[in-house]
Amino acid sequence: MILLQSHSRFLLQTLLNRVQNLEKGVEFDNHWVEFDDVRYHIQVSLKNPHILLLSVSLPTPPPEAIFFGGLPSGAIEAIKAAYGVIVQILDPPRDGFNLTLKLNLSKLPPDEGYKHALLVKIASIRETVLGAPLRVILKQLAARTAASNMDRRFAIVHRPNESFFLVPQVGKMMVMFPMRFKDSIDIVLATSFLQEFVEARRTAGLNNAPSCMWSPSPPLELKGAPAETLSANAGFVTFVIYPRHVEGKKLDRTVWSLSTFHTYVSYHVKCSEGFMHTRMRRRVESLIQALDRAKPELEKSKKTVLSRSFKRMSLKEGRINSDS
Amino acid sequence: MDPATSRPAVVIDNGTGYTKMGFAGNVEPCFIAPTVVAINESFLNQSRTSSKANWQAQHSAGVMADLDFFIGDEALARSRSSSTYNLSYPIRNGQVDNWDAMERFWQQCIFNYLRCDPEDHYFLLTESPLTAPESREYTGEIMFETFNVPGLYIAVNSVLALAAGYTTSKCEMTGVVVDVGDGATHVVPVADGYVIGSSIKSIPIAGKDVTLFVQQLMRERGENVPPEDSFEVARKVKETYCYTCSDIVKEFNKHDKEPAKYIKQWRGIKPKTGAPYSCDIGYERFLGPEVFFSPEIYSSKFNTPLPEVIDKCIQSAPIDTRRALYKNIVLSGGSTMFKDFHRRLQRDLKKIVDARVLASEARLGGEVKSQPVEVNVVSHPIQRFAVWFGGSVLASTPEFFAACHTKAEYEEYGAGICRTNPVFKGMY
Repeated sequence: MILLQSHSRFLLQTLLNRVQNLEKGVEFDNHWVEFDDVRYHIQVSLKNPHILLLSVSLPTPPPEAIFFGGLPSGAIEAIKAAYGVIVQILDPPRDGFNLTLKLNLSKLPPDEGYKHALLVKIASIRETVLGAPLRVILKQLAARTAASNMDRRFAIVHRPNESFFLVPQVGKMMVMFPMRFKDSIDIVLATSFLQEFVEARRTAGLNNAPSCMWSPSPPLELKGAPAETLSANAGFVTFVIYPRHVEGKKLDRTVWSLSTFHTYVSYHVKCSEGFMHTRMRRRVESLIQALDRAKPELEKSKKTVLSRSFKRMSLKEGRINSDS
Repeated sequence: MDPATSRPAVVIDNGTGYTKMGFAGNVEPCFIAPTVVAINESFLNQSRTSSKANWQAQHSAGVMADLDFFIGDEALARSRSSSTYNLSYPIRNGQVDNWDAMERFWQQCIFNYLRCDPEDHYFLLTESPLTAPESREYTGEIMFETFNVPGLYIAVNSVLALAAGYTTSKCEMTGVVVDVGDGATHVVPVADGYVIGSSIKSIPIAGKDVTLFVQQLMRERGENVPPEDSFEVARKVKETYCYTCSDIVKEFNKHDKEPAKYIKQWRGIKPKTGAPYSCDIGYERFLGPEVFFSPEIYSSKFNTPLPEVIDKCIQSAPIDTRRALYKNIVLSGGSTMFKDFHRRLQRDLKKIVDARVLASEARLGGEVKSQPVEVNVVSHPIQRFAVWFGGSVLASTPEFFAACHTKAEYEEYGAGICRTNPVFKGMY
């Protein structure tokens, strides 16, 4: 797995499972947490097996991101547009969550392929909600109507109390990520990973990919942003998105890749750590083998002599010995 | 306060056959996947000549050497469809055997299945009661170094299985856990939550042996199963059709009288040619689980039936715990899921105990009448993931976070902290 999938695996599994056994009523109550502190809660009651309550809680937004009623701007419209009649937004949401959806599974379309596509779409609820503002801005870029918000800076939340920035320019969009990591080793690995990432962009096969820059200090476009948003211990990554990157079907993928870029880097840092460990283990094993070969044979014969003296006497033998 | 304590802990129970993973506080694990990794080794072996050129070669091939692997059902599917992937089972007989594969397995569990950030959650992992402290250290090393988990608790799976029964009926932390997994069978007496280490008994017959026995029976009868698929078919047959009988002879008679009722059909598709085939499933339906009760039909090396092993185990425990142990015998693990397994176990065990009570009464000449010993084999519907459920219950208590090894401690003292249970912190 190189890229993270946009749908939640468990949510999709649950939905498919429910749709297959729609008539069988079950009591189901489950909650789980995904990366970047997105929490889910799903509930099915025995009485109404068609109705499924799905609650989502989003990461705490930093002050610079725009939120309306606990949701990113444009999220409600995005949900309505994506899911249509199967979904009803409950107001107020469940306690402790930002959004509660009531899914009516009996309203699913009968066509199998379309139904599956829709379920996958529901399972990618996080992309729909968190990516809503990003999608709106990128759509403007694709339609080349971005003149009104030129050189404004947008902040979009992607992790608890952290956001990344969009700066629209003529015919393109700058996307800037302040990269922060907790662990000191992660910082080093991530920094070199990002530098390599920029390097990899220059190879011949990737000419059409968005151009990508890394710098240890905040880029000029972020001048004037609050100081605490500009402290990043693994530098800043800037992508330049052109309209051709957000045309048609590419839009969804671009939105997902951008909104999970931090997790993507963190995942690969962990993977390379694991891979390094594998190679370290191999090295140690080969060194131990070399050491084993160098051991003198003498030791072995000594051991067998010693072990003979440790022969245990059974109770009976002991008795015979004491009798004699 | 650590923000990770406000999120549910991740509970992963790595068994030899299946891994159960999910979040604490839930009733069911999110995923139950076979513990298997399919690795493409071709890139890994030539990595010694590392240079830019090699990186380029890997890149243009569209392959990332360190990410070219799959786990769980995907792994099984991959290895069947192509020959570039080798299957590797990281756990053997309840112990981690291949740490590379284990690390990769955890990596995919966390990032691909549960999709959580390991830095955000405390982790609860399980181990068998016979795991060496070194292997616990190794687990801690991987968890803290690779995944940067904020806290880790390694629990003994039999104690968790007891804890699973804790909520459903009564507050009992004394009992014998009969844990029959895919690769290991342990009988573990636990008194007040402490494992009586000297009395643990293990037997070399587990779920995999049932599968092998079913496979052998089907092969000997000449059933039309493609050889490369026969183990998988035997496993499916075991999981869907096997049951425990009360008496083999009677069961043979029943099958012979009414074959239509008892003999089942198995349909499959040959993996190589794609041609459909079908075969009958007969006596192996009850002979499979019978290996636990009369092991001599399967192996000549080991022939103590499971009830006798349990009895020996309890007899070797401290005398004041024995009655309580007989009273609460808890089943856990997928291979105790056969129908009526607990009834048969209870009947056989009761027979042994009653015989002993009678014998001792006869020896005393009928002067002293002893209180009858209560034998109780408990089975619950969640047996398959009882250990996971116990872990989920344990990890959702607020005390859990205080009982974990934390990252700060790991950095201060090193992997040695994982050798001991942190509940005893400061006692030595």
